Amino acid sequence: MYWYEEGKPDGRFIGNTKKYSIYGSHYNSTIEVVHEKPPERKPEEFIFAYGPSTGGLMESVGLDILTPGEKITSISVDPTYKLRKIKVTGMGIQDALLRIERINGFHSASHAICFLRAVEDALQIEVPEEVQFNRIAQIEAERIRSHLLVIQKLAESAGFGVPVNQLSMIREKVSRIIGTQCGHRYFFAVNEIGKSRFMIDKLQEKLLEVIGEFRMISEGLMESKLFLNRLQNNGINRDPESTGPAARGAGIRHDARNELPVLPYEQLDYFPIVRDEGDAFSRFMIRSDEIFQSYDIIKNIHASKSIERLDYDLQKMGGTGMARIESPSGDLFYSVEIEKGNVVDIGMISPSWRNVLSFRRSMEGNIFTDFHFNWESFGIWISELGVDLS
Amino acid sequence: MISWLFLAPFAVSVAVSIWNRKAGYVALAVSSAIILAGSFIHFDYIDSFVVIASLVWIFSSWFSVSYGEKYGRWLAPMFGSTIFGMVVILLSRNYLEFLAGWETMSISSYVLIAMNRKNDYPPFVFMAFSELSTVLIVAGAIYSFYLTGGTTIAFTKVDSVIPLVLFTLGALVKMGMVPFMISEWLPIAHGNAPANGSAILSATMTLMGVFGIVRLMLLSPLSQVFGVIVIAIGVLSVIFASLFAYVSEHAKMLAGFSTIENNGAILAAIGFYMIAQTAILRDFSLVVIVIFSLSHSLSKTGLFLGIGASGKEHFLDEGLSSSRFSRIGEVLSTASLSGLFPTIGGLGTWMILEMFFMGASFLGYLGIVSIIAGSLIAIGEGFATAAMMKAFVFTQLRNGKARGMKNEHAVVFSIGVILILLFILSPLFVGPEFLGGLPSVFVFNGFTIQSRFAAADFGLVSPDYVFGLLAVFSLATYAIFRKPDTRSVPVWRGGREFTEDYTPYAFSNNIRLMLKKILRPGIGERSQYMAISDGFWAFMIILTRSYRKVAKGFTLGFMNSSIRWYMIYMILAFMIVLLLAILI
Repeated sequence: MYWYEEGKPDGRFIGNTKKYSIYGSHYNSTIEVVHEKPPERKPEEFIFAYGPSTGGLMESVGLDILTPGEKITSISVDPTYKLRKIKVTGMGIQDALLRIERINGFHSASHAICFLRAVEDALQIEVPEEVQFNRIAQIEAERIRSHLLVIQKLAESAGFGVPVNQLSMIREKVSRIIGTQCGHRYFFAVNEIGKSRFMIDKLQEKLLEVIGEFRMISEGLMESKLFLNRLQNNGINRDPESTGPAARGAGIRHDARNELPVLPYEQLDYFPIVRDEGDAFSRFMIRSDEIFQSYDIIKNIHASKSIERLDYDLQKMGGTGMARIESPSGDLFYSVEIEKGNVVDIGMISPSWRNVLSFRRSMEGNIFTDFHFNWESFGIWISELGVDLS
Repeated sequence: MISWLFLAPFAVSVAVSIWNRKAGYVALAVSSAIILAGSFIHFDYIDSFVVIASLVWIFSSWFSVSYGEKYGRWLAPMFGSTIFGMVVILLSRNYLEFLAGWETMSISSYVLIAMNRKNDYPPFVFMAFSELSTVLIVAGAIYSFYLTGGTTIAFTKVDSVIPLVLFTLGALVKMGMVPFMISEWLPIAHGNAPANGSAILSATMTLMGVFGIVRLMLLSPLSQVFGVIVIAIGVLSVIFASLFAYVSEHAKMLAGFSTIENNGAILAAIGFYMIAQTAILRDFSLVVIVIFSLSHSLSKTGLFLGIGASGKEHFLDEGLSSSRFSRIGEVLSTASLSGLFPTIGGLGTWMILEMFFMGASFLGYLGIVSIIAGSLIAIGEGFATAAMMKAFVFTQLRNGKARGMKNEHAVVFSIGVILILLFILSPLFVGPEFLGGLPSVFVFNGFTIQSRFAAADFGLVSPDYVFGLLAVFSLATYAIFRKPDTRSVPVWRGGREFTEDYTPYAFSNNIRLMLKKILRPGIGERSQYMAISDGFWAFMIILTRSYRKVAKGFTLGFMNSSIRWYMIYMILAFMIVLLLAILI
């Protein structure tokens, strides 16, 4: 394995697969138990059940809000109401990939690329640099679209119809651009081992209009005192093991892009954007700024005229590999074990797992009306959590 | 004025109640009916308070016939002697008689509260504040006696406002007004008596305070400064008491705070009388005082008896079953306390707001006081509505449903009906100078109550037409559409089988969070969280501890085994007490 080695728990804790506990650049077969102190229930408190089948939530998730009324004492999140059992073991890599990229359609490129990097690590395949940059372009385009959706949901929580529809429109434009560049608006069947069908030719020019429009909407939102009031000091996150925009919005420089060279971000002068406030506003600002940053990253990737097609004899190859990339919501990790071209074991840690823990802590002491703003600001995807991948 | 002869049936009732509880209550109801009828023989303004009080006593005695067996044989005599004391107050013609009634009422109430004791605290709190009230009234009486040159202790006209000030302060203590409200003594005491006792304490004991103030006010020179102070105390009581009622988790304490809120509004109307510059405005405020007292007293009786019938003290208690009749009765009582038509409380609230808004237009610079007072009372009424909704939902709707109608349910229902009847009949109470009509739109003369500042009217309402239109349109709707088709579906809880309900604490937690600096949460009985302002008690505890610390230090440092220092201390203490006595 190139990026990960077995060792004692070291660095920050990324999460657990079924077999390993994963840290910054180590893994350990002793599974770390994540302790969550159960809340002490007072006589005047009751559980307000919200979801899974309700308005205001994009995905099916059951939330048990312990409350004495208005104020939230604690909150628990059950993502298993629509538990999907996805079996990829015993399948060929390309067939497995078709299922992996459907775990979370909104972050399909991130999942596919992270899985492929783990497979390439297991099979010790050197991937051409153009393909690597091409993958970065995919992830950054996906980040733009994902962040647009999160900001749209924040505006929706405030009941701001105009920016919601404007953001929805430019998100649709991004999806159409992606569809034009690779044939599928959600990057399905775009990536293979050592290959990509995503065209980055003129991608930057096409995104320019979107970025300009987003700048106007963002500035408009920033001028709304109503919007800012709902975000500022709401859901202050101080979880030191946070991930993604939630971490960077709390002054924590957690970012797989400059922690592990799984993808060559270091060649693109990448630096993480960090803010200190830790609240929903901070997470909103991080996402806004990262949209511009992702566009700049794409701008710095120069299209190669043709990507050399490489073929690998997968039937003879095997090994164990691990990879971690920065999906739009944070650390996404895959571990794979390959034998004769087939997946025999797989592990996945989604950023939403960590984000749920951070969200729960940040929600304590807030009030009901803060809930949607805070929930959306973490960019949690239940599709990544309510999945039993084997 | 009515005769002392009317006191005799009450004395007999108390004696009968010692022998037989139910017979005693029936006798009390009959005695109250007799005095009610007697009050109309030579009716004057002061007799309005007899009418109000006797109505409350009739209903609470009727309710008591089937209530309170668990409190033993002394509940009925104490209930009766409390009423007896109040009758003495209402019949009193001098300070001595008034004080005799006041003390009879206070001591009997003390025993009444002690009967429901789960701890010794509430009755002692009640007694301490009652005696403070008595001391202030005695001071007022002595000063009045001094002003008359030591010639009479009768209620008589004086040329100083000081007896009224002292008397009002004494009555304010009894009514639990700001600043005495911060000690919450009234809700603690009234909330801990048996329900029938709570009803007469809240509805009529505080009415005795109003009665005393009005009585003296009509004999004293008017002071605008004192009037503004009284208005300030009244509106602050309205605001704080309605907030405290809203966050209370104890059903009867909620009703107790509501009593303070209502008394605050009545007090504000008394203050308005003092600052009003024209006879017609003063007359209007006197009508407001009576109408508001009437609505408060009867509605509060309905609320307390409704709570008693529900079997709940804390909202989270299991409770007994409630019937459709008690629900109708309590919803009308709470509507009246919320100032809603078509109940007498709706009229009272309309009148008090009209009065202050008239004052805003016609009292010159004092109009500012009037508009602020009116606005704050309106805000307080808003909170009161929320508090009343909480009381109704958690004592009646969140209670098992019983078939049939028990005696208690019948009483609560009857009070609700009376509240509507009083609303319909209200044009008969207000006096011809505030009646009018709009014949051009078929509202005949005598059917509108008009708030007047001069010959012209400021605003008007026609209770009969309000009720008539509501009734006609409701019946017409029913006649045309019949009973609406309804279907009941289980509550949708996000698609889950879930049984937890919204709690009464949660109902008012928004205000608790917004006002957390004022409302400090504490643990109530049976680990139920209460939200109470304990600033007064915290201060008292600090004061007591500090005094004990200083006293202990002084004792150990100077007087320890030293007879010389002890003698010096005794002489100094004696001189200070003597000096204070002379000065005061």
